[in-house]
Amino acid sequence: MSMATIRSPQALEYLSVVGMSRDSKVVTEQWLKSEEHYWLPITRRPHGDAEKFQALAETWRREVQFLSSVTEMVLHSAYQRIIGMGAAVVPHLLRELERRPDHWFWALTAITGADPVKPEDRGKLRKMTDAWLRWGKEQGLTW
Amino acid sequence: MSEDLEFVFPHLARSAYAITSPSTPEYNCIAWAAGDAERWWWPVAGSFAYWPPNIPLQESLDAFIKAFGSIGFTPCGDANVEQGCEKIVLYVDENGKPTHAARQLPNGRWTSKLGKSQDIEHELESLSGAVYGVVAQVLKRPIDE
Repeated sequence: MSMATIRSPQALEYLSVVGMSRDSKVVTEQWLKSEEHYWLPITRRPHGDAEKFQALAETWRREVQFLSSVTEMVLHSAYQRIIGMGAAVVPHLLRELERRPDHWFWALTAITGADPVKPEDRGKLRKMTDAWLRWGKEQGLTW
Repeated sequence: MSEDLEFVFPHLARSAYAITSPSTPEYNCIAWAAGDAERWWWPVAGSFAYWPPNIPLQESLDAFIKAFGSIGFTPCGDANVEQGCEKIVLYVDENGKPTHAARQLPNGRWTSKLGKSQDIEHELESLSGAVYGVVAQVLKRPIDE
């Protein structure tokens, strides 16, 4: 069984982050965990940081795509798990920013403590991305 | 038409709407309502998003009204088309926290940027529901002739 065959109902994916009662969220989360456990045994789960990051990033992108709230986006469980990967995930974040700019800035600041974005560039995705990629190079990071 | 959009916003399926742009994370609904397609607006501390200067960094309806007030919008009683005026609406969730903004088009329909997803043209009530909640405030400003 490949990853491509895992088909969680979209309703659960979207509604797990918005507009549900606490009880409904708990039931939904348990349902998704059960399904994940069934389809993806521990022996087939992503092992490397790159695989783990990509899996979490894809989940995050899908589940926050209709949200405008930065707070809601960064509090999403997949985003928080990426932050929890620590310094090892920084090159993956920078590679992702370079390849597909998105709102990874909070995670980068949370992990590194840095904030290279100029005040006048706040909210400007491309300039924020450029600032972080420049910062990464200045730190001698490769990605 | 998009099955994904209609699944998340069920009222869309029962109304006329059109996708008017590709997806992009460069700007959001608040920026789009304000006429800015180059920045992501949100009241958050740090450099993660734009918020007008001297407006409280609070996720409250009052702070959003003040933010739009900084570019000329004032509270308004209804969402009907008004000659010489541009109108926007603010949506809030069940806790009164702002979730979304839409801007009225001259034809009386509305344009929205759906998070990082597409812009759509839609009817006012089409986006009400579990994701964005309900319309809580209408604002207007004079159109520069």
